[in-house]
Amino acid sequence: MNRPISAPLIEMQHIVKVFPPDVVALNDVTVDFKQGEIHAIVGENGAGKSTLMKILYAMEAMDAGQILYRQQPVDFISTGDAIANGIGMVHQEILLIPEYSVWQNVILGLEPVNKFGKLDEKRAIAEVQKKIDEFGFNLDPQAMVKDISVAAQQKVEILKLLYRNVSVLIMDEPTAVLTPQEIPQLFNELRRLSDNGHTILFISHHLDEVLALSDRITVLRRGKMIGTVDSHTTKEELAKMMVGREVIFTSLRQPNQHGQVVFQAEHVAYHDADRVVRLQDISFQVSSGEIVGIAGVEGNGQFELVNSIMGLITPQQGYYSINKKDITHADILERRRLLSYVPQDRKTMGSSVTAPIAENLVMTHHKLEPRFQKWNGFILDFKEISKFAQEIRDRFSVSMGSPDVAFQSLSGGNQQKVILGRELSLNSPFVLLDQPTRGLDVGSIEYVHEQILAMRSQQRAILLISSDLDELFRIADRILVLHRGKLVADLPVEKTSVEEIGYLMLEGKFNEKQPH
Amino acid sequence: MSILIGLLNGMITGATPILLAALGGTMTYYAGIFNIAMEGMMLVSAFFAVIGSYYYQSWIVGIVFAILGALVMALIFILFSVKLKTDEFITGIALNLFALGATTYMLRQIFGVKGAFADPSIVSIPNISIPVVRDIPVLGQIVSGHNLLVYVGLLATIASSFLVFKTRFGLRLRAAGYNADCLNTSGVQSDHIRTVLVLLCGVLCGLAGAFLSLGYVTLFSENMSAGKGWISLAAIILVNGNPWGIALISLIFGFSDGFGLLLQQYLPSQFTSMVPYIATLFALFIYSSRKRKEFLS
Amino acid sequence: MKNNLINGLLGIFIALMLGAIVMVVQGYAPFETYAALFNYSLGSFFTFTTMLQNSVPLILTGLSASLAFASGPVNLGQPGQFLMGALLATIGGLYLDLPPVLMIPALILLAMLGGALWSGLAGLMRLWFKMDEFITTLMLNMIADFFTYWAISYPFFDKTAYSPMTPAINVSGWLPEWGDFNSSVIVMVLAFIVVWFITSKTVAGYEWRISGQNSIFARLGGCQIEKNYMKVMLLTGALAGLAGGLVVMAGPHRFLKGLGANYAWDGIMIAMVANNGIVATLLYGLFFSVLQTGAIGMELITAVPREFIMVIQSVIVLVIVAGRGYFAILMNKLAVRRKAKEELK
Repeated sequence: MNRPISAPLIEMQHIVKVFPPDVVALNDVTVDFKQGEIHAIVGENGAGKSTLMKILYAMEAMDAGQILYRQQPVDFISTGDAIANGIGMVHQEILLIPEYSVWQNVILGLEPVNKFGKLDEKRAIAEVQKKIDEFGFNLDPQAMVKDISVAAQQKVEILKLLYRNVSVLIMDEPTAVLTPQEIPQLFNELRRLSDNGHTILFISHHLDEVLALSDRITVLRRGKMIGTVDSHTTKEELAKMMVGREVIFTSLRQPNQHGQVVFQAEHVAYHDADRVVRLQDISFQVSSGEIVGIAGVEGNGQFELVNSIMGLITPQQGYYSINKKDITHADILERRRLLSYVPQDRKTMGSSVTAPIAENLVMTHHKLEPRFQKWNGFILDFKEISKFAQEIRDRFSVSMGSPDVAFQSLSGGNQQKVILGRELSLNSPFVLLDQPTRGLDVGSIEYVHEQILAMRSQQRAILLISSDLDELFRIADRILVLHRGKLVADLPVEKTSVEEIGYLMLEGKFNEKQPH
Repeated sequence: MSILIGLLNGMITGATPILLAALGGTMTYYAGIFNIAMEGMMLVSAFFAVIGSYYYQSWIVGIVFAILGALVMALIFILFSVKLKTDEFITGIALNLFALGATTYMLRQIFGVKGAFADPSIVSIPNISIPVVRDIPVLGQIVSGHNLLVYVGLLATIASSFLVFKTRFGLRLRAAGYNADCLNTSGVQSDHIRTVLVLLCGVLCGLAGAFLSLGYVTLFSENMSAGKGWISLAAIILVNGNPWGIALISLIFGFSDGFGLLLQQYLPSQFTSMVPYIATLFALFIYSSRKRKEFLS
Repeated sequence: MKNNLINGLLGIFIALMLGAIVMVVQGYAPFETYAALFNYSLGSFFTFTTMLQNSVPLILTGLSASLAFASGPVNLGQPGQFLMGALLATIGGLYLDLPPVLMIPALILLAMLGGALWSGLAGLMRLWFKMDEFITTLMLNMIADFFTYWAISYPFFDKTAYSPMTPAINVSGWLPEWGDFNSSVIVMVLAFIVVWFITSKTVAGYEWRISGQNSIFARLGGCQIEKNYMKVMLLTGALAGLAGGLVVMAGPHRFLKGLGANYAWDGIMIAMVANNGIVATLLYGLFFSVLQTGAIGMELITAVPREFIMVIQSVIVLVIVAGRGYFAILMNKLAVRRKAKEELK
């Protein structure tokens, strides 16, 4: 990995960005990028990495500072402007149109036309195919984007930028949506592009990947630029720069005695309204004092599994039970007497962001606990609710002001603490967690894991759906793998590895070449 | 037989204002805008059509004024919902009420009457008698002889279909509805597209309104759009915006209108007036139960 | 709360200024016009009580819309529910003969029943057939309009009258007046208190509120969304129906064509400009009543047609609602600028 030493291609100087009302996302950040290098930007969630790159890409405006491109000050007014100057960004959430085909997505905004503005379909497809061949991607231009894999969708996003002759590619957490097997492929492609003279800037908080791929690494912490190092540094050094203190990477789990079976799924099968089979013959158990993790690429049945356990949908076959009570057809309130639920998306499913914190906290409790009711369940006791909010704040160390303030004023980590607090204080025997640490910073993640392990010590039964294999290996006792709606593995965590689980997630079966 | 021909002609006539307005609404629907203000746009353009026709003794001027009136409404809608990011729903309903108030007010101020303004000197939009076609037995009586705007409506359907599905603009238009962020990062300002679409919707609603006051009948009465804007909206939702589907639904509603007139021999007029609205409920029932069946299997 | 007040007052001020400009252009005297407007609504005890009586249907339909929108259902059927409530109350008033102390509550209940039945119909269509209440309530408005028109022209027609209307209801159903003060205002205030209590104190009010903000969250939390939905539809229909009944019982004492005019649509507008707040709905309802009551006097004094007020009302709504959004954006921009300066020092 040798790069020509030259003056920097891009310089970002003294960048300041404030989000209303007073959140300082970037505080006097200065950094430079060289032509043809692969440069990683790392930091915890909320460090400002995405924001910095969005400013470069003109998706966000900076409040102070300047950007030099080839030593000239530039001021891009829109992302179109940035693209026209050769800078493009591939976002973490795939920003394509699923109902359109690959070629339609690639040419959108730069379409070849005939007279009357009629779209020249033939020419468009041919040009897209040309680019596909030029960069060696494995894509069918006429495939619908919603039908192709997430890794392929990511390639379409890259292709879209290359079609516009972009030479600086910014990638935001590109590996977040990929399985362990797909990651080396992406890295090969990025290296090939870099060898060809393209500059790759990529944002990540996965230190192993960053060290494997990049030439230089810049660390941000809480909006401040900490330093730029080259790839010869160590993971521990980087982590220390990111967090500001020593970080432990090993597993926290102590062995624990399991009790009775609490949750049982028995031959559950579900197909959706289009008759597509989403769950096939799902059978598994979770005992008290046990954490069972479910791994899988998103879209392989997790959504349907969680929703059918919760009661939003009903499986056509099979049953679920908690403490021997059949809940397959029970209404949601009945299920809530026995289960706690921390949903995947705290904003759309786990809270009402505009409602006060206290009103978010009392949900479900208001139905199940007489403590909050007066006049025979007719009136809410708001004084008790306030007290409850204080209790949660103290017990879970939530950093909040008054409980009457809107939920959305809390930071992501604190929001998750509130939701955890609400759900855990229901004291249910069964706890369902769906991506509980998504989008949280390292400190919050550690805290959430501590709480989950504490529940395990309290002998609750815990089902953890997670796309973060590190997380699963840190705290789960057993790992199940969902592939195309089937459970293809049920392994104690000591008897398997990240590679094996990754392979199972992608292929749906064990790798014959690696002995189990 | 003549009843059937009359019924079919009535169906086509009744369908036209709904068709024109719904086509306009389809444009905005694809872009993700729910243009609730169509009712108001039609009312305002109906009023201005009469002004143009009366004062300038020309139906062409009437149509031009109608379109201008609707465009003014469209511009206000754009100002609030695109520029100031006001909720479209609220903007639409407020605009409808504004239209009602403004037209009633102007009716009084300009023509000095309340309720309705009818005058023999208002020039109506002519019917077109197509030379060869009109002589074909039966078919000729149905196809030829309609108001000019009926044929405009047909052309508009064809043009919309082409625009939405075959052109570059159409690709971007639908993208704006599917995922405006994606469109923005592709270098196309989705706000720009939205603005053009609302204006286009204004033009079509303008034509619909002109038809109401200069084609269908020749007068302006208070609140003359009488819920046709809502029916257009319902039509758009039912067919998910497809222009040819809109044409079909509009014909069905036009038919229910004509059917209502037929029923007037047997039922009090109030019940026959209900027919289009009951028909809408029925159509919504079919649409929703289709969706429901898919969900339950 | 303070922001909302500033936003509201500013919006009203801007709208009145715009109205003044239009008046000047048309050759009217704006200052005298507005003076007459407020004089003829607040200037004397008579005008004040008239204003209060006029506010009853505005506030009740406004509450109906506010409660519905805040809880989730898009109930735009207040116009139809108003008419059906008025009709049922009128029919009761024609055929029942009870002493006033029983008659009046009976007719009030009938009015609420009429409105609730009509909204309940839309609610059932939603629950059974998944038909969007947005469209069904709108269609039912038109159907109710024609249905009541038929009812007062044929079966319940007053044969001595020369235009469609029913005979007067029995005197025992007439809401009492004390001087110029009409007791319908008391009924309205009672209804307001009940609605306020439900929304701010009860478990149901809490669930409705959260469901309106995020129905999936409420559903996952164990709230019974369908039952709550139906309850809200029925209650809001009853409120609109009550408005209709009170208008008949307090005013013309019969159902005539054009009863209720634009009250219900104004009520919907009031809910929007009040951002679905219960107390704000009351205040804006009173204010719009001031405008509408004063409009008649305004026309007498400066000849500005009363329809002008309809235009002013919608401009007020637009300006306030737009301002609300824009104000928030503006405040954010200022906060950002201030913080950025801080950090750079």
